[in-house]
Amino acid sequence: MIARRRSGGTDIGFETDLIIITPPAFRRAALSYGAAFNSGGLTMIRLQATPPTSVDDAIAMLQTAIGIEFGTLPPYLYAKFSILPGTNGAAVDRLGMIVGQEMIHLCLVCNIVNALGGTPKLVAPVYPCTLGDIGPPGGDPLMIHLLPFGPDAMAQGMAIEEPEEVPPYEVVGLLKAQGGAMTIGQYYAVIDAFLATLPASAWTPGNNQITDAQFFPGQLFAVNGYADAHLAIQQIVSEGEGAKDNPLDFQNELAHFYRFGELFYDKVLTKIPQEPGYQWGPEPLGVDWSAAYPAIPDPGSHDFSKDSAAAQSAQAACNAAYTGMIDALQLAVTGQAGQLGAAVRKMFDLRMAAMAALQIPLADGKSVAGPSFLYTPAASGASS
Amino acid sequence: MSILETPRIYFTGQMTWDPIVTNNYAEFYNEDTADPAPPGDPVADFRKRAIAAVDPRNWNPHGTHRSTFLAEISGVDTGGGRDTSDPFVGAPANFLGMLVDAEPYGTFSSQLFFDSMQFGIAGGYRVACPRRWRAMSRYINFNRNSWNTVKAGIASTIWQTSIPKDCGLQLDPHDSPALQALAEALADDDVLGLTVRWNTYRTIYYDDPTIRTNSGGQLSIDAQALICKLNIPNSFQPNPARSELVGVIGLWRAGEPACEPGDRALLATLPNEVVATAFARVTGDVLAIDLGNSVSEVDAQLTKQDLGTLTVCAMSPDGASVVEELGTLGYSSYDRCAYLATSGIVELPLSPEAATLAAGAPLQVRAGSAVYLAEEVLRAAPETQQIIYLDQGGDCVQATLQVLSFGEPAGAGVTVSRYIWDSGDNSATLVDSAQTGADGVASFEVAPAGEGAVVQYVFTAGADAAAPDFDPLLTPYIYVRTLPADADIGAMEATWDNVYGFVLSKWKAMAPCMDNWLDLADPAQVHAYGAVLKKLTDRGNFELYRYMPVTRDMTDGERKLLWSFLDAPLEGAARPAVLTAEAGPRANRPRRDIQALSRLARS
Repeated sequence: MIARRRSGGTDIGFETDLIIITPPAFRRAALSYGAAFNSGGLTMIRLQATPPTSVDDAIAMLQTAIGIEFGTLPPYLYAKFSILPGTNGAAVDRLGMIVGQEMIHLCLVCNIVNALGGTPKLVAPVYPCTLGDIGPPGGDPLMIHLLPFGPDAMAQGMAIEEPEEVPPYEVVGLLKAQGGAMTIGQYYAVIDAFLATLPASAWTPGNNQITDAQFFPGQLFAVNGYADAHLAIQQIVSEGEGAKDNPLDFQNELAHFYRFGELFYDKVLTKIPQEPGYQWGPEPLGVDWSAAYPAIPDPGSHDFSKDSAAAQSAQAACNAAYTGMIDALQLAVTGQAGQLGAAVRKMFDLRMAAMAALQIPLADGKSVAGPSFLYTPAASGASS
Repeated sequence: MSILETPRIYFTGQMTWDPIVTNNYAEFYNEDTADPAPPGDPVADFRKRAIAAVDPRNWNPHGTHRSTFLAEISGVDTGGGRDTSDPFVGAPANFLGMLVDAEPYGTFSSQLFFDSMQFGIAGGYRVACPRRWRAMSRYINFNRNSWNTVKAGIASTIWQTSIPKDCGLQLDPHDSPALQALAEALADDDVLGLTVRWNTYRTIYYDDPTIRTNSGGQLSIDAQALICKLNIPNSFQPNPARSELVGVIGLWRAGEPACEPGDRALLATLPNEVVATAFARVTGDVLAIDLGNSVSEVDAQLTKQDLGTLTVCAMSPDGASVVEELGTLGYSSYDRCAYLATSGIVELPLSPEAATLAAGAPLQVRAGSAVYLAEEVLRAAPETQQIIYLDQGGDCVQATLQVLSFGEPAGAGVTVSRYIWDSGDNSATLVDSAQTGADGVASFEVAPAGEGAVVQYVFTAGADAAAPDFDPLLTPYIYVRTLPADADIGAMEATWDNVYGFVLSKWKAMAPCMDNWLDLADPAQVHAYGAVLKKLTDRGNFELYRYMPVTRDMTDGERKLLWSFLDAPLEGAARPAVLTAEAGPRANRPRRDIQALSRLARS
């Protein structure tokens, strides 16, 4: 058993009211950049939930959570892949860490489902999509897009990861942020509260668990009962949003929301002695928005029939690798742990295929396309 | 001086190790010629053999060599004892390095190549340490965890590197008193920078702490399970090991070795070496002793061995009689709790008279009549280069050793002798001697061997010193690896068959993890990534984390052939059906004997 670091964590209270109405200040900041990818402007993910009354209800909610955790990966990877090689080192590092942690979150939620006797199912979204967001009252849900590296992609990441309360950290020399918000963390809180009521007999120790023996040392662990599930949920929420009123996550690193914020503002989130304790900058992070491939957004919506055979072939290679990764991962989270190594290998294949695709001009002669992240079992010869 | 002064920062946690170990064994690798063995074995066959050998020995054919911390700041000491209220406590300790053995067959030449290490985070409390020198493994203690005999699990080791303050070292103290004190101390002209020293112990394999034997039993069960995973087509199955870790960040002063402990060496006493070599320093009225590598854990719960009350004594100049007992260390001073709290550093308060006495008298640590540690007053330590890579026919380099007397730089005129250690017959052969300069430093020219070879030099300090008997807990040493020139390979026509057969197939066979990044058997891919490959294999980038091949065994001839291929247009290259190295110049090269003690930890 590994020693898991627990400092800096936050506990999660039980919440039943999941209506979220306050738009975060960064939305205005993002819109000031001309973020036009979402005509309704940036919002945050809101999930419809009724407190569960049975294990089946909880598993269903966890299945939704799996969809969200999995669904964040393609947009984050699309942004990361589209950075020109050898540039934007800070961005590559931060996006890489976020992607790694989202993978861990995905596995942790699958571990909880397995521990409850369920069968996790990975369903690949087709982008743009909502990841289950119901939207604000009277408004549109947050549409998640595949966006190349740029302010819009980072603002979208902030929207996905936005914490319950966004501290009013000043942006030195840029914009001023204020206001508060709520997140899917509360969705997890509902699940957590219900899981706490379950008897020990509801849990099946050792059932199809994925641990950190091979990958993600120190952060991925088996769920064998409520204590483990609670720890997993704490870790997931903390790493995404950070502790309440604190940008640090479960392991005293920056939570995802703030990592995206650093990229968005191109400012290091810096501790200051006066309230509210942090500010954006003044040290720049070192972002070069121009050092990215001219990748189109949402390539899954693009008609490649007018593009070159090479571009079509590159997309097919990306989709094949992505499909193979999902298939292997599905096996890994349902009892064939060795398939995790196959999934990781497929992910490297996807990376290589993406690098090739991003260097092939489209028919317009000025843009390229990253991977569409389309699950294509028939075309790829997959079994499921 | 040193981390035994205050201020200092403690960190604890775990460390993971993911080396490919296939090259640890003569059946797979010739460490002199730096080639897979036997010559000409096709990649697919080589990989199959490597997997088949997992049970019981070859535990990580899909390794990556990556080594990481899972650790955090656990305490600070600004002179008033351990403090956990400093806001820096709890900050993450981040390290990512590549574990490489200069001598693949042995265990005494491990090193970590890295670009930087960071304690804390950017924008918050932070100590950012760009690499100046590799971190070196020193003072391997084969008695540390005798209950854990799996692979190298029995052993612990000290790792150390130092970061000059003028090489990008950055401290962001904010309101942390400990970091403020550290930053203030760095302003002292005598302080060269920071030293980071850590100890790793209780290494487990297969993530299974229940394995107790080196073959059969649970080890075989786990190994067979790994073999099943390795046989999943197109999969990547690393099998990292994991160690416990305690560490210290402290001051690096002038006259201290950068990559191994300086101070006063309290050597383990033969024959049993119950307590492994420790390091001591008197600062003001405090005697600090680093027992981080010294006291064994006796069980899987990591209970420290109870040696009773230890007495620290000032001895007569010949070490034969006790002049004064300086103080005692009860079990609670070095038990598990104390060990984790201060990373093994213990302190004894001294009276002014005792402090004066201790500064100039040999020290011993005893329990009753048993002497566990005895100071070697005059001692040489490599300054910065414990492991040297040379090229056959290339330039000589200077290896410098700092001679310390009672932990301070010795003056001029001390004789330092260099020997070649032959592990085959456990003998030391005198090579030459040098005299220290006024700074206590002795310098030796190190020449490349006439062909590929790994040579171990051991050293003594003092004109009357006896020829050494190598023991990593007792003997100063350096390793020199000479890579063969392979001029014949460098002169070959830069065809794909030659490049693959004599360069890339070796790499592909030994490091299946490369499949994740590049198909080394695909000439188009290799050529397309020519610029990247040249950068990664550039000898000028040898110290970088991402240097390739990670095992640092590409010869000049191989590099020349590869680069010639990458620089030329790719024309009609076809993927070879099989390796073509059978008829190459490597086929009949001799194989060097391996080190006996190291073999024990590789079995």
